[in-house]
Parts: sequence; structure tokens; C-alpha cells
Amino acid sequence: MKKILVADDEMAIRLLYSEELKEEGYEVYTAANGREALEIIDSVPLDLVILDIKMPEMDGIEALRQIKERKPDLPVLLSTAYGEYKQDFATWASDDYLVKSSDLEDLKNAVRRHLKD
Amino acid sequence: MSERTAFMSQMVELLTSTVSFGERLSNMVHLLARFMKVDEALYFGLDKTKETLNLQISSRGALPGQPRLEFPLGQGVVGAAAKTRKPQMVHRDQEGVLLDNAPLEKIQPDFHTLAAFPVADDNFLYGVLLLIDTHLRTFTPSERQAVHLASLMLAATLRQGLLQEEAKKRIAELSVLFEVGKALSSTVELDDLLERVVSTTAKVINARGAALQIIDAETGETRVTSYYGQVPVAKLCPPLPSGGEASGSAEMPFLQGETSDAQGRIHYHLAVPLTFKRQLHGTLCVFDKIIPGGGPQPFDPENRQLMFTMAGLIVNALENALTYQQVETLAERNERMVRNLTVLQEVSQAMLTTVQEERLLDIIIQGLIQPSGLGFDRVQILEVDEASQTLRGRKGAQRPPDAPALPLSEVLFQPLAKELPTSEWQIPISPGLGAMAQAVLRMRPVHQHPSLPQSGAGAPWPSTFDAQEYFVVPLVVKDRATGVIVVDNQASGRPLEPEPLHVLQMLATQAALMLENAHLYSTIEANNRELMLIRERMLESDRLAALSSLASGMAHEIRNPLVSIGGFARRIAKLVEKDSPLRGYVEVIQEEVSRLEKLLREILDFTGENLSYFGDHDLSQLIEDTLPLLQRDLDACHIKVVKDLQPIPRIHCDDRQIKQVFYNLFQNARQAMHETGGTLTIRTYTQEREDGLYAAAAVSDTGGGIPLDVLHNIFNPFFSTKDYGTGLGLSIAQRIVARHYGHIEVKNELGRGVTFIVTLPIAKYCLVKDAGQGAALAGALNAPSGGRR
Repeated sequence: MKKILVADDEMAIRLLYSEELKEEGYEVYTAANGREALEIIDSVPLDLVILDIKMPEMDGIEALRQIKERKPDLPVLLSTAYGEYKQDFATWASDDYLVKSSDLEDLKNAVRRHLKD
Repeated sequence: MSERTAFMSQMVELLTSTVSFGERLSNMVHLLARFMKVDEALYFGLDKTKETLNLQISSRGALPGQPRLEFPLGQGVVGAAAKTRKPQMVHRDQEGVLLDNAPLEKIQPDFHTLAAFPVADDNFLYGVLLLIDTHLRTFTPSERQAVHLASLMLAATLRQGLLQEEAKKRIAELSVLFEVGKALSSTVELDDLLERVVSTTAKVINARGAALQIIDAETGETRVTSYYGQVPVAKLCPPLPSGGEASGSAEMPFLQGETSDAQGRIHYHLAVPLTFKRQLHGTLCVFDKIIPGGGPQPFDPENRQLMFTMAGLIVNALENALTYQQVETLAERNERMVRNLTVLQEVSQAMLTTVQEERLLDIIIQGLIQPSGLGFDRVQILEVDEASQTLRGRKGAQRPPDAPALPLSEVLFQPLAKELPTSEWQIPISPGLGAMAQAVLRMRPVHQHPSLPQSGAGAPWPSTFDAQEYFVVPLVVKDRATGVIVVDNQASGRPLEPEPLHVLQMLATQAALMLENAHLYSTIEANNRELMLIRERMLESDRLAALSSLASGMAHEIRNPLVSIGGFARRIAKLVEKDSPLRGYVEVIQEEVSRLEKLLREILDFTGENLSYFGDHDLSQLIEDTLPLLQRDLDACHIKVVKDLQPIPRIHCDDRQIKQVFYNLFQNARQAMHETGGTLTIRTYTQEREDGLYAAAAVSDTGGGIPLDVLHNIFNPFFSTKDYGTGLGLSIAQRIVARHYGHIEVKNELGRGVTFIVTLPIAKYCLVKDAGQGAALAGALNAPSGGRR
């Protein structure tokens, strides 16, 4: 069973994403910020990470940089309410950039695509 | 007594009568002889030497001929009376009387009694009165007193005669001087005046001839300017006494001499120098004084005096004439200068009334061609085109042949009546290409004389320019020639005079400044307009930015809860039975959330948030897509395109912006080669840099390169060497590349061309070190809320 980490500071989002992904047959871990996310990454052999950008303590961009430093091959998807970070070079290292939507089909398709590789 | 009274009254009558002086004297002597009842009465006059007494009057009338009867002072009874100033009476039989007075025997051979009475007044002896009788006579005291009284009357008459003669002479002299003085102060021409002075001098002195010699101030040669009467050629230029030049000597110098001619006759001359300002300027010379019935006479001191007076008059006249001539020359020069300065001043003032280049050019040209201005036939103004290093025609005009002479102040503001086409003027500025190029290069006026070979041979001279003589004056501002003014008088064939050319040069200095000012003014005006536009746009975008910042902030806050609501609604929908009434409610929630999310996207699109189209693109393909946009322009400029596009990993970028970068670079290359044509070479390749792998594109032109002095400016906004374009092309390119964390470099090869190298990071293989800086830049350029938060 593939292991996915969802990092988002909003509890409602974490709950929604994990419910949906579990339904798809993944094992889901959650974190409320970047720091928590890194702790899990260090302890759990994950297959994919979904990162929010705006989070307290450590934001998604810093988390992305550290994940890519430690595990360059671990796919990281950015899922954010903001579109403009697409232009930020720091987000270019992510494997996908998704703007949040109540319709989770785009997200689930991206997860499937990256886990197949 | 009555007889004596009658005698006395008769004498007094004679004394006061108006008959001539000589007649009065002889009448008196005759009367005395009759009254004294003597055989004869004689009057001996003392001559000028005061040594000799000459017989002048006899009571019997006629005098014996030559030799004249005379007694030296002290000799005979006459000489004794003169010497002692006392009456002397002798008788023939007295010892020595006959011997002493022997000459008297010629008049009265048998004289017996001789009585001599001095004729004198209180201070002067005029002569001696001698009474002769052939008998022994004595004179009573009464008779003696009568003779004494008679001699006093004679003395008075003589004195009166002398005074009268003297007065006549003085009056004559005065009237001469008066005439000459009148002539001097009149408007008589100098030559006439000198002629008159010379002839008057000769006449007054009674000279046979007179001559005026003047030393020419420039050549130093002496020439006779005027002469009168007979002038012996040999004596024309008597050597002047050296004292003539050193007028400091107390004695007034003069030259007096005598020579004898071939016939042995003696000739006299008298010369006085004409000196003023301590310099000898000539001589006035008279020859041979003539007295009626006599031969040439030497000149006396009175003549010298008169000569000096005349010399003084001539000097005065010469001085006046010279001064007048100088004053006239000065006045003439002043008048010309004033006229020229007036032209200069009026044109200057007119130029001050405008800052518009066209109007200024009109004023300058009018000032140069109008008859009331400098009056040239034709004027052309050419300006330096810095970019192409050529002189191009700016404006020119010809004076219409029937131009009325209007006051300059009026005509300066009128439009040009006969403007000339100037488009044909296009002269490369290089040595040897004519006077115009020379004037620009040397920044000095060039006068093309008709006698000199036409230096424009081989230059692309306009066919309309046919002048043999012309004058080119450069317009120099801050050590830089901005153009030239060319004037000629070809139409009328007049030569170019130095004075108007001089004024033209002064005018050119000012015209250059005014034209430069006008040019700067128009540039500033254009810049101001552009700045105003930019400012307006910026204000507009500021307002939008504030609005969109507010909107996007709210939109983002709403998005997260909306995602949760919508997401869970979908989950609920899956769990709800197909026919449950809840299903309809959940669907309403889902639809409403979708509607809100759509609205949100639209708001964020509007605020610019989602307008960037970042994606992964092939750089070579982007270049291929851009080229067709310029193909027609490139073809029109005969620019060949050489492509060497390698397959390289895709880059993450906004494809439209990267296309913009290459569009600007291609456009720049085309402009560099638009006159000459050339080759545009585009090469893509990968490049290793310190921080990773980059996609690179090199764009080269063959447009000659960028001058070193402007190289540092090329990325500055609004910098342009062209008259068109905003100067923003390269600046925009640089910003876009920076926004993509790339670099743009310039390789400039002067004389060949420029290569711009754009490198963009390949994100997967690149850890850009200065990403933070790039992000800041990107943030600054992306209005709403760039940068990470």
C-alpha cells in the first residue's frame, strides 16, 4: 500500500484529503506544517507528499526545498489556494502545482500519475 | 605879421588837406621857399639805413636825374644839421663851405647862403630842410621860428605819411590773412585752399613765384602740391635746414639763399618748413621778390614773418583736413559697425521670441538674406546627423529678386518667400569631402574662394548648388559642431565682403546655441509627455493593484473553507441514497460551491494572479515560433537568418514572455543592420554554469557593434540611439530574463556586430543560488502579492 503524506494547516482540508485518498486505497499520513511533515518523512518511507504552501512554522516552499535535498526522488505535489507561486522559481522543483478546488479529481489524477512512475 | 599869419594858415591847411602825401610835402616846401624869399628850398630825407640823406623834394619842382644827390650823415651843412639836430647856417665865403657842400653846386652853382633845418619831432629825425640863396642872407629870429614851425609841420606830415603807409600795409596783410582764414574755415577743398594760400603769399610778398611742397606720409617722397607764378625748376626743392625737423629750437628755422642764373642774374628764394606734431611735413617757398621797375630783391624779415604765418595756416589746414579725413573714416566705419550690430541685435532679439526650431531657422535665414539684414543671395542650413555622420539639408532659402527693402524687425517674422529644397544635401563628414565637411571637422569657418579649386569634387554635391564662391560657418555648441550655415552671392555675382561674413560668424555662435536650446526644449517636451503618460499608467496600475490586493486577499481566505465545504458535500453525496431527499440538498451545496469557486477564479484572473502561463517549454521551439513574426521585416532589410538550434531539455517559463525576449532581440539586431543588411545568427545550446545546467540562446548581428560610449547604457529604460522606438526593448528583455532567473550578456565586437546571449535555468538540473533575489525582482514586477509569505 502506497504511503502518502498530506501537509496542510487546515484541519478540514487534511480530513477531506485523507478520507478521499484512503478511499482510493492509499495509506495517508497528515501534518499541520512543514516541520511536522519533515519529521514524518524522516521516519516513514513515503511514496508521495502533498504540500500546502501557506503554513505556520515552516511553509511549503521551505519544506519542498528540504525534501528535495534529502529525498530528490520523492514526488512532491504542491496544493495551494494561491496561483501566483507558480512563477516562484522555488516552486519549480515540485513535481506538480495544483490550485485547490472542491473537485478533487485533478489532485487524485496527479497522485495516480506520479505514483505510477 | 599878416604875411606870416597867411603863410602859417596856408601851411596848416596843407597839413590837414586830403591831397596825397607826396603832393602835400612838395607844396609845403614850395610855400616855405616863397615865404622865406629864398632862391630854392630842398628836402633831404633820411634813408632806412639812417646813414644817408637823399634829396627828395625841391621847391622848383623837377629833380636832377641820376645819380641822386645825397649827403652822408655829418657831412656838409645838411649832414651837420641832421647829426646835431640843430639849424646850421653857412656862407659861401666861409672856410671849407664850398668844399663841403660841393654837390649842391649841381643845383645852385652860385649859392651863397645855406641854411639847414632838421625836420624832426620829439623822437624821430625824418630829414633836413635846406634853404639856398644866391645872396648873402641872414634870418631874423622871427623868420627862424617860422622855418622851425614849418619843419615841425613837415615832420608831422611825414610821420602821418609813414603811419598811413604802415597802416595800409597792415590792412593789406590783415585782409589777406582774413581771406585765407575765411577760406580755411569754409568748405573749400583742401587743394583749392592750398592753391589760394600759395598764390596769396606770392602776391603779398610780391614774389615772382611760390611753391608748396608736401612730404607724403607713406612714401616719404616730396611732391609739389601747389605753385604760383614762375617757379625755377632747379629751386623747387631747396634742401631743408635740419632745424626744420627739430622744431624745438627757439629760432624759427627758415632757408634763405641766392643763386645766379646763366645770364648772371641773381635769384633769391625763401623757404619755411611746415611742421606739426614735431614732424616736418613740407615747405612753403617763395622766389624772387620783385619791386616795380626794379630787379629781384632779397627778402626782408617782414616777408619771413608773413611766410611763417602762412606756413602756420597751411599746417592748420592740413591738420584739419587730416583730422577730418580720419573722422570721416571713423564715422563711416562706425556707421557700418552700428548697422551690422543692429542686424545682429535684431536677429538675436527675434530669436529670443521662440523656442520652435522651424521658426528659429526662418528668423536666421531672413536675417541673412534680407537686404536690410546681411543681404546674402542664398542661405542653406545643414545639420549634423550623428548616427550616420552626415550633413543633411535642414532648410534653405533664396532672396527673391524683387524683394522690397523692408525694416528688418518686420521682415524677420515673415515666412520665407523662396524656400529651397534641402533633401538633396547629404554629405558624409569626412576630410576631403568639401568645405562643409571641413567646417564641421575643424569647427572653423571655411571660405571657398572662386580662385581656389572646388574642394567638393567627388562629394555627393546637390546638383542645384552651383556657387563658385561661398562661405561655410559651423554651428558649434559645447565643442561640438551641430551643423553649418552656407551663404553665397551666386545669383547676383557679387563677391562676399568680409564684414557681413564677420557678423555672420557672430550670429552663428548665437544661432547654434538657440537651435540647440530649441532642440533640447523639444526633446524635453517629448520626454515630459512620455513621462506624463507613464505616470498616468502607473497611477492607474497602482489603483488596480490596491483593488486586486484586497480582492485576492479575500478570495484566498474564502478558497480554503470553500474547498472543505465543497469537498465534504461531494463525500456526503456519495453516501446518500439515490432517492433520499438529502441528495437534492447536497447537490445544491455542491453547485453553489462550484459557482463560488468559478467566481473566485474570475476575480483572481482579473487581478492578474493567474495570468502567468508558466509551463515547461522547448527554448528552440519558442525561437522558431517567434521568427515568423519578424520575417517580413528581416527580408525587407536584406537580412539573412542562420539558425543552429540544438535539442535541449525543456525549461520552465512563461512562453509568451520568453517569446517577447527574443522578439525584442531580433528587432534590435534588425535595426542595427537595417541600412546595410547582414546576417542574423541564432544558436541554442546547453551551458554548464556554477549552479547547474542552463538553456542558452545566442543572437548575433553584423551591424557594426555598439559604440563604447553608449555600451553601458543599452539596458537602461528609454535609452535609444534611434529616433524611433521607446528605448525599452532591451530593458524589457532583461527584466523578463531576470524574472526567469536567467542571465543576459552582451558580446560587442566593434566594427563587426553584437551577440546577445540569453541563458535560462533548466529547473530540474539547476539550484539557482540567487533565486531569492530573482524572486524579489519577480515579486516587484508582479503587482499583487508575489514572493513567498
